Amino acid sequence: MTVQTPTTSARPARRRSGRFAPYVYLAPAMTLFTLFLALPIGYAIYLSFRSVKVSGLGLGKGARTEVWAGFSNYSRALTDPDFISSVIRVGIYGLILVPTMLGLALLFALLLDSRRTRGRGFSRVSIFLPYAVPAVIASLLWGFLYLPRVSPFYYVFDKLGWDVPDVLSSPWIIFAIANIGLWGGVGFNMIVIYTALKAIPTELYEAARLDGASEVAIAWRIKIPVVMPSLILTFLFSMIATLQVFAEPMTLKPLTNTISSTWSPLMKVYRDAFTRDDIYSAAATSVIIAVATFALSFGFLRLVQRRAFSQENS
Amino acid sequence: MTTLTLTPVKNPPQVRATTGATGPTNKRSTTSTLVLLVGALYCLLPVAWVLIASTKSAGELFSSFTFAPSTHLWDNIQDLSAYRGGLFWRWMANTALYAGVGALLSVIVSAMAGYGLAKFSFAGKKAIFNVILAGVLVPGVVLAIPQYLLLAQVGLTNTYWSVLLPSIISPYGIYLARIYAAASVPDDVLEAARTDGASEARIFTRISVPMMVPGLVTVFLFQFVAIWNNYMLPFIMLGNDRLFPITVGLSGLLNQGASQPAMYTAVITGALLSIIPLIALFLLLQRYWQVDLAAGAVKA
Amino acid sequence: MRLQSGIRVAAVVAATALLATGCTSGDDDSTTPSAGASTTEKAAKVDLTFWTWAPGMDEVVAAWNAANPDIHVTVNKQDGGDPAVTKLLTAIKAGSGAPDLMQTEYQKIPTLVAADALADIKGDVSDDLSSHFADGTWQSVTLGGDAVYGIPQDSGPMEFYYREDIFKKYDLKVPTTWAEYADVAAELHKKDPKAYLGTFSATDAGWFTGLTQQAGASWWGIDGDAWSVDIDSAASQKVASYWGDLVEKGVIDNKPMYTPEWNAALNDGTQAGWVSAIWAPGVLAGNAADTQGKWKMAPMPQWNAGDDATGNWGGSATSVTSQSKHAEAAAKFAEWMNTSQDAVNILVSKGGLYPADLPAQAQALSEPPAFFPNQPDFYTTATDIAKSVQPFTYGPNVNVAFSAYNDEFGKAAESKKAADFLTALTAMQKTTVDDLKNSGFNVKE
Repeated sequence: MTVQTPTTSARPARRRSGRFAPYVYLAPAMTLFTLFLALPIGYAIYLSFRSVKVSGLGLGKGARTEVWAGFSNYSRALTDPDFISSVIRVGIYGLILVPTMLGLALLFALLLDSRRTRGRGFSRVSIFLPYAVPAVIASLLWGFLYLPRVSPFYYVFDKLGWDVPDVLSSPWIIFAIANIGLWGGVGFNMIVIYTALKAIPTELYEAARLDGASEVAIAWRIKIPVVMPSLILTFLFSMIATLQVFAEPMTLKPLTNTISSTWSPLMKVYRDAFTRDDIYSAAATSVIIAVATFALSFGFLRLVQRRAFSQENS
Repeated sequence: MTTLTLTPVKNPPQVRATTGATGPTNKRSTTSTLVLLVGALYCLLPVAWVLIASTKSAGELFSSFTFAPSTHLWDNIQDLSAYRGGLFWRWMANTALYAGVGALLSVIVSAMAGYGLAKFSFAGKKAIFNVILAGVLVPGVVLAIPQYLLLAQVGLTNTYWSVLLPSIISPYGIYLARIYAAASVPDDVLEAARTDGASEARIFTRISVPMMVPGLVTVFLFQFVAIWNNYMLPFIMLGNDRLFPITVGLSGLLNQGASQPAMYTAVITGALLSIIPLIALFLLLQRYWQVDLAAGAVKA
Repeated sequence: MRLQSGIRVAAVVAATALLATGCTSGDDDSTTPSAGASTTEKAAKVDLTFWTWAPGMDEVVAAWNAANPDIHVTVNKQDGGDPAVTKLLTAIKAGSGAPDLMQTEYQKIPTLVAADALADIKGDVSDDLSSHFADGTWQSVTLGGDAVYGIPQDSGPMEFYYREDIFKKYDLKVPTTWAEYADVAAELHKKDPKAYLGTFSATDAGWFTGLTQQAGASWWGIDGDAWSVDIDSAASQKVASYWGDLVEKGVIDNKPMYTPEWNAALNDGTQAGWVSAIWAPGVLAGNAADTQGKWKMAPMPQWNAGDDATGNWGGSATSVTSQSKHAEAAAKFAEWMNTSQDAVNILVSKGGLYPADLPAQAQALSEPPAFFPNQPDFYTTATDIAKSVQPFTYGPNVNVAFSAYNDEFGKAAESKKAADFLTALTAMQKTTVDDLKNSGFNVKE
C-alpha cells in the first residue's frame, strides 16, 4: 500500500502527501460505496423507467421485451390506493411507536443515570438484549405470544376471566407490530441517550443539587436539554427505520388475516418485486420512498436545527 | 444536507465523563428501581419464552402450558444438529464468518473514511460525506435485487463474496467513525506528530487508531449485529444452502410449503442457539456500549 | 445494461444449441439410472444442482449418485414455493445463477414458462412418457402444447380428514355433501363451542383454488392467442358464498391454517376436521404426532349427492431451467427420479409424497401411511379419489391472483360477512385481469 512508504526523506513532500492522504483514507470506502450502493441505486433508478411488455400469450421465447416506460411506473404507484393507505398506516404506526420508544428510552436512560436506582447493570443488559435478536426471529417469538391459543398471556387472562380481544385482529394489529419494534429498539436508543447523559460533567448539576433541586427537576431542566442533540438524532434514525418497517409485519402476516401484502410501503415493494415479478414498479416505489425519506429527514432537521444548537450552547 | 452534517459535529460531549455515578449516595428510590425492572422484564420475557419453548418436544409445544419447562432441550439440539448432516452448525459458522469478517473489514474501512473526513479538509469533503450519509436512507430490501443483477454480471452470486462484499460498506459506520475521530483524536497531537516527521500512515495506525479504539469497537458491534440480522441480501444472493446464514436457514425450516409441517421445534431451538453467541458478545464487550461517545473526549 | 442483454442472448443461444443436440441424441431407455447414464454420457463428469424443498430428496438423489458416477446431483434446499420461484426468476433476469433442476409447483409453471425460465425437454425424455401420468397432470407440464416443461413428481388430490374419535363422541355423521358438512359443522360447534369442523384460511390460495376446481371452475383459459380469466365465475361464487356463510354463522373458524395456533388446535382436537389433500398425513404427523390413529380420510363432500369430483391442492414437477448447460443429463435424472420404480418407492417411503407416476403407484403405495394405521385401505381409496380430479387451467400470473386472494379474502374473513366473500372474488378477478393487460398480454373478456 502506498501509505506504508517510509517518510524519513519525504519531509519536503509532506504537504503533498498530506494533501492526498484524505483521498487515500476515503478510497476503500468510496470504491465500495460506488460498487455496492451508488451503482445499484443508479440501476434501480434506471429500472424504474423501464417495464416489460408481453406479446400475445407470452409463452414462447422472446415474447417479453423490456421497453421504456417513462413515468408510468411512478404515476401508477402514486395513484395506487393500496400504496397510499400503506403510507398512512405507517404514519400512524410511527406516531405510536417513535414517541413511545424514545420516551421509554429516555426514561430508562435517566433511571440508569440516577444513583438512586438499584439493579442498573442487570437492567441495562436486559433492556439492550433484544437488539441482538434478528427482527425475523423476534417477530416469530412475539407471534407465539400473541396467538390466543398458544400465548401464556391469554392463558392467564382466561383464568382471570377477562375477555381480552385478539391483538392480531383489526384495530389492534398496529399496536402488536409497534410492540415488536419497541421491544427491539428501546434498548439501543436507551444506550445512545445514556451515553450522552454520562458525558455531562457533574459540575453542571452539582450546584443545582446543592440548591435542593429534586432529581426530576435536574433531569427536566439540565439533563434533557443537554442530551437534546442525541434525542434528535435518535428521533431521526427511528423515523427512517419506521418508514422502512418490513420484517415484523412480513413475519406476522401468515398468522393473521389482518396484514395485507401491502401493509407497509416496503411490503408493497417486496410484493411487486418478488410476488409479482415486476421489479420495475418495485424500483419506482423504492425511489419514491427514498426521496420521501430524504425530504422528511431534511425538513425535520431544518425544523429542529436552531433549537438544538441554542440548547447545546446554553 | 448541510444541516445533517452540522448536528453530529456539534454533538460530541465537551468534557470527559467523571466516574459513572458520582457524589454521595442518596436515598434509594423504590419507584425508579421498579420501573427499570419492569422494563427489563418486558425485554427478557420473549427470551425466557424461547428458552422454555426449546425444552419442549414437538407435541408439548402445542399442548402444554407455555411457561412450563420440559426436558427435551438436549433432544431438540441433537435433532437440529442431525438435520441434513449438521447443516445448522454450518449456518452458524457461515453467520459468524459473514458477521465477524464483514464487521472487521467494515470497521477498517469506516475508520479510515471517518478519520479522513474528520481530520482533513479537502475539496469535495462535504459532498462526499453527504453522499455517504444519504446511503443511510436507502433500505436494504430495495438494494438487494439491483445488487444481485450487478454481481451476476461478474459471476459472484451464490458465493461467500456476494454476501461479504456488500456488507463491508456501512454509511452508518462511517458516520459514527467520523464522530469518534473528531471527538477522540486531538488536532494538536496530529500536528505535533507531523512536525516530528511521522508519516500519515504511521500517525493513523500508531496514534489515531489507538485513540479511536473504544468507538471502533462500537462500530464493530453495530455492524456485526446489522450483518447478523440481515435477511434479504443473503436470501437473494445465495442458492446453495451450504452458504446460508442462520436467518435464511431458519426461515427455510419455517416455510416448507403447504404439504409439509413447519419445523417449529427446530426453529425455536435454532433461534435460541443463534441468540447465545450474540448475548455472549454483548456481555463481553458491554463496557464499550457505555464508553463510546465520552471516551477520550478531552476536547473536540 | 447492454452487457446484460448480451449475456442473456448468449445464454438463450447456448440453451437452444443444447436443446438441438439433445434432440438428436435422445434415447428412451432411461427407466434405470445406470442405463440412462452410460448410453449418452461420455467420460466427462457432469455436476447438476437441484433446487427443491420436498422431503426425501436427499435420499433419492443419493441413490441416483451412487448408481451414476458420471452425473452428480447436488440438492440445494430452498424455502418452499414462492421464495424459490422468486430466486429463480431473479437469476433468469440476471442471466446466471439458476440451478440445473428446479422443483416447480404446477400452478407456477405458466409463470415460469412466460419468463422463459424453463427448458423444453421434449427431446430428452422417453417418447412414451405421457403414458405414465393422468391426462390432467400431463397437461399441466405441457400447458396443452407440444413442449414438455417438466416431469410430474407428485399430485395433491383433495380429501376430507376428520377426527374419528371426536365424531364418535358427539355422534356426528361423516358428511358426503357440502350441505351435510354445514350441518355437521353447526352441530359440532353447538356441542362443543370451542371446536370447529374446519377453518376458512385466507392465507392458502391453493386450498381455495382446489375447492373451486372441485365445483367446476377453471380460473384461466387459452382462447386462440388470448388469455381468458374466469375467477369470478358462478362455480367460484358458489364456493365463496358457501364458506362466507359458514364463517358469518361462526360455525367454522376464520383463522389461517399453518400457524402455531392451528397446530395447537389440531393437537387438542378443537380442529376436528380438515379439508386437505393426499399429503395431509405428513403434515398431521409433524404437527400433531400424538393424534396418530385418531384421524380418518374420506372423499370430499360433494355439491350434489352422488357426484364424484375433487380438486387438487399442491403437487409439483421437476423442471430443467433454461440456464442449464446440461439439459439432457438433467432431464435424464428428472425422468428417472419421477418414473422409475426404485425412485418412486423412495419418494413415497422417505418423502411421503403421492407419486404422479401411475405405473409405479401400485407397488409404492401398498402400505397405508404410518399415521393412519386405522385405515389400511387409505391408498386404495385415495387412488379412486385421484381419478376424479376436475380439469383446471392455470395462467401466467397465478402469483398476482394468489396474492390478491390473501389480501381480499383476508379482509372478508376478518369481517365475517358472507357478502364480503363475493366482493373479494370480484376484486381478485379485477386485479388479475388488470395485471395481465398492464403487462401487455392479450386478454379476452
